[in-house]
Amino acid sequence: MRLSVPQAILAVALAASLSACTSSSSSSSSAASSGPSGGTIKIGVDLPVSGADASIGMPTQNGAVLAVEEANRNGFAGGKFKLDTSLLDDAVQGKHDPAAGAQNVKTFISDSAVLAMVGPFNSNVAKSEIPLTNDAGLAQISPSNTNDGLTIGDDAKKLRTAHPDVNTYFRVCTRDAKQGAALAQVAADRLKLKKVFVIDDNETYGKGLADVFDTSFRQLGGTVLGHEHITANQVDFKALLTKIKAQGPDAVFFGGNTSTGGGLIRRQMADVGLGKTPFLGGDGISDDEFEKQAGDSANGSYMTVASPDATKLPSAKAFVDAYKARFKTDVGPYSANAYTAAKIEIAAFEKAIADAGGKMPTRGDVLKYIAATKEYDSPIGKVGFDANGDTTSPVLSLLNVQGGKKVVIDVIQLKS
Amino acid sequence: MHFDPTLFAQQLINGLSLGGIYALIALGYTMVYGIIELINFAHGDVYTLGTFFSLAILTLLGVTGVVTGPMLIVVVAVTILGAMILCGLTGVIIERLAYRRLRNAPKLAPLITAIGMSFILENLMLYWKGPSPIPFPAVIPNPEFTLGAVTIQAKQVMVILLAIVLMVVLQAFVYNTKLGKAMRATAQDKDAAQLMGININTTIALTFLIGSALAGAAGFVSGVYYGSTWFFNGFGAGLKAFTAAVLGGIGNLAGAMLGGFLIGLIEAMTTQFIGDQWSNVVVFSVLVIVLIFRPSGLLGEALPNKV
Amino acid sequence: MTLAARITSSLPAPLRTQRGKTALAFAVALVLPFLGHNGGFTNFLADAGAFVLLALGLNIVVGFAGLLDLGYAAFFAIGSYSFAMLASPQFGIHLPFWLLLFIASGIAAVFGILLGAPTLRLRGDYLAIVTLGFGEIVPQTFLNLSQWTGGPNGIGSLDQPAIGPYKFGFDALPYYFMVLGLIALAVWVANNLRTSRLGRAWMAIREDELAAAHMGINTTTTKLAAFAMGASFSGLAGCALASKLQLVSPDQFGFNVSVFILAMLVLGGMGNIPGVIVGSLILSALERFVLPQGTNFLHSLHLNLDLTNSRFLIYGVILVMMMLFRPEGLIPSSQRKAELHAADDDPTAAAHEQTLYTEGVA
Repeated sequence: MRLSVPQAILAVALAASLSACTSSSSSSSSAASSGPSGGTIKIGVDLPVSGADASIGMPTQNGAVLAVEEANRNGFAGGKFKLDTSLLDDAVQGKHDPAAGAQNVKTFISDSAVLAMVGPFNSNVAKSEIPLTNDAGLAQISPSNTNDGLTIGDDAKKLRTAHPDVNTYFRVCTRDAKQGAALAQVAADRLKLKKVFVIDDNETYGKGLADVFDTSFRQLGGTVLGHEHITANQVDFKALLTKIKAQGPDAVFFGGNTSTGGGLIRRQMADVGLGKTPFLGGDGISDDEFEKQAGDSANGSYMTVASPDATKLPSAKAFVDAYKARFKTDVGPYSANAYTAAKIEIAAFEKAIADAGGKMPTRGDVLKYIAATKEYDSPIGKVGFDANGDTTSPVLSLLNVQGGKKVVIDVIQLKS
Repeated sequence: MHFDPTLFAQQLINGLSLGGIYALIALGYTMVYGIIELINFAHGDVYTLGTFFSLAILTLLGVTGVVTGPMLIVVVAVTILGAMILCGLTGVIIERLAYRRLRNAPKLAPLITAIGMSFILENLMLYWKGPSPIPFPAVIPNPEFTLGAVTIQAKQVMVILLAIVLMVVLQAFVYNTKLGKAMRATAQDKDAAQLMGININTTIALTFLIGSALAGAAGFVSGVYYGSTWFFNGFGAGLKAFTAAVLGGIGNLAGAMLGGFLIGLIEAMTTQFIGDQWSNVVVFSVLVIVLIFRPSGLLGEALPNKV
Repeated sequence: MTLAARITSSLPAPLRTQRGKTALAFAVALVLPFLGHNGGFTNFLADAGAFVLLALGLNIVVGFAGLLDLGYAAFFAIGSYSFAMLASPQFGIHLPFWLLLFIASGIAAVFGILLGAPTLRLRGDYLAIVTLGFGEIVPQTFLNLSQWTGGPNGIGSLDQPAIGPYKFGFDALPYYFMVLGLIALAVWVANNLRTSRLGRAWMAIREDELAAAHMGINTTTTKLAAFAMGASFSGLAGCALASKLQLVSPDQFGFNVSVFILAMLVLGGMGNIPGVIVGSLILSALERFVLPQGTNFLHSLHLNLDLTNSRFLIYGVILVMMMLFRPEGLIPSSQRKAELHAADDDPTAAAHEQTLYTEGVA
């Protein structure tokens, strides 16, 4: 037996449309100008939670989930509205993917119950998402993006295509220019390095961070011996490291993530006789995977986390305890950031509901209150946003791997 | 930039070691292609399986670091043989399940099947060991020798020697044994070979067994050499090993080894003199150029177009 | 309807029976976005449509001419980047979208010829590897030449299509109708090509290149025409997807994409236009709905298994199973089916013969 062609096309299309309908059935209540005085409000959470990125993405997602669960327990908006999360994964075959992120944001936008979102995790994903949230007027707070072009200068303006004067993108962590510059400062002043070789993974985040470090370190009088980009899925770095060793660097700087080569490069440095040479990087190599992949060679690496270290902050004690009780694991480096991002959005929901006389608020109202966030008390300190959507209290933690473990050796307060 | 002969020599060693791994994988590619004209796309993933099997055996043996004394020989022998047997069997099973039925199908069919097998193996390994690189125990003591100002690690010597030794053994097997003769006969003309009393199915299975076993050996060696492995290793390495086989002249064992070393050298020298980000572009450009100007490869003979 | 009617009226006489069916299929396609009452479904349809275009293009190369192209995403990349460079603030060039459709598909076609030319002398499986090599070289080159291509950031803020004063904006619906129009065009072109002199030459080469050459077919120009036509379709798809997503970046064009499109062909039926369309829609729907929904379902059963992570496992299984058990695809073309199953009814077929002998001799 054989299906005729139109029958087959029709069948596939109908099957797809049916499943589309079921997937949206919970949220298909009409978006309203005069909303109902009750119902569900959702926070869309878009993070990479599978594959290599899951080790850092999952604890981040947990942070947002915890904030929503707590708010429901504590009688969110007088109990008239229920809060929920819509959790989507932007990893494809184990790695964050800009197209998947854009797809997820479109799903949020088409779900009228989603009034704000948390995410994305990676800067290149943010680049594909910001034009969409800008057009839809949906506020998004990233727990971890650090790329400058997302908020600053012409690059940021280009992302706000539909409404150049409206900003829908915020972040609670420090951007790369500050992180890269701070790393250069650490390298020059604290570690007294003179000659550094720079490597990056040729991705948005890694290359951005490495470029800033490169420029800042030169400005501070240091020498950059060279700047190379590695390729995706590369496993052999011996030729590159041999080339680097011949130039006698005081340290190697890596812009990128553990999953894009950070761990393997550090491991192979020992093979070419660079095992004792310090290895510097940003928040991308601050996950636990780094020590696993680099093995014994991990020692002597320095990295920053673009947030204060939650486990060390008195303000984060309650959050860290609640997180452990709920998820039975330790917090990740960005759990507190995602928790804070979700809390800021929840606070904005409540104000907007009050404004709307207890009715379902619009995305525009929510956006207004998120943008106006100032001095918000959170586990990571007092948080507020400037006109670009950047945090007004940038903080970095400096970490050092000693005896196979990361130790916070300094918390750096930067000028906003 | 002035020319630094020491650095050049050092990169030569790096390139040859990397090339040794490519050569070991390329031997399997060239054997299978030589006999059934199939690019066994899954071969690179059988190589990755080799590192995973080796790791599993080492874990069973309780090996977590460097082994010394007579135990070293036992551990290396058990692990490498174990990985070779397991990979060899995997290869035979893949041939039996996926390729044999398609032996007389249009040529695209087995090639597409091989791509499918490659995806399946990669994803099974993804489930097995997760998506991140996993550490591999050092196993072998790794003293460094110095030749002038050039430093050579013991494990680099191991990779290069093993590639050469296995190639020579294989060459001897193919040209001096009865089974080898059967393989060559099958490669030349299946029907005629059959008429001469050669069991085609067994001979082809044997080819897969040996080729995949070599990938198993390559897997162990690369695990020790890099100190890590991950599920996606085989894609890039397999592609470059195939390039090596084509460069050397597909079907030619010495050519596969030569091609492997050359590709390794090209990669290392591209990193040194052009930039790391261009190494893949240069390697694949070499492949394209070779195929255009000398489709039969460096050591291969021109193949007639089989109809 | 007008669009569908125009398509069907231009079909050659022997295909008249297909006429009504084709019209029906397009009529269904026109109302489809209004069946799912959220924007997400329209968005899915637009993306799926662009992949139908890609599959139709690859079908010309692989299905019609039998040239296994494992780097088709490279042409998709070239088409997308051509569009992006000529319609964005990157160089301050803003050519009209509709003109760029032609330019981008033209550039992709030129590269189809440039990359195809050196591979002409190669036998089928070598060709596969060379195209795979191109598939690796092209996106990596776009990534490396960051001063022109934006490197890893890609090129963003691309111009949106407009018809007169009407701008497409961010809603998926106009993109969907545009893609549908492009599919209609592609189907019309592919269908006419298939029955043309050129199409018959492609199929002759697919079946037996040597014999085709002896019959007086110029295999060089015939093969190049296949590469050029196939690549030009990917240029159209590149414009449509890039303008919709507002971004091109080098990570959109990996080997995975090439295999994803190839799997569409294998599943639906290589060489058969309706088959390719159906195969493409099934895989897009699988990716977008079936796997996520299945994962949700498993989670509701407290099974912590993520099917979306297994998509490439599933594509692998599809490739292997289809090749082994139904190489002609779900909806085969009649010729192809005849060819592939000839051995089934033929007692003297080689496979049969072989088992007899080996059992007897060994």
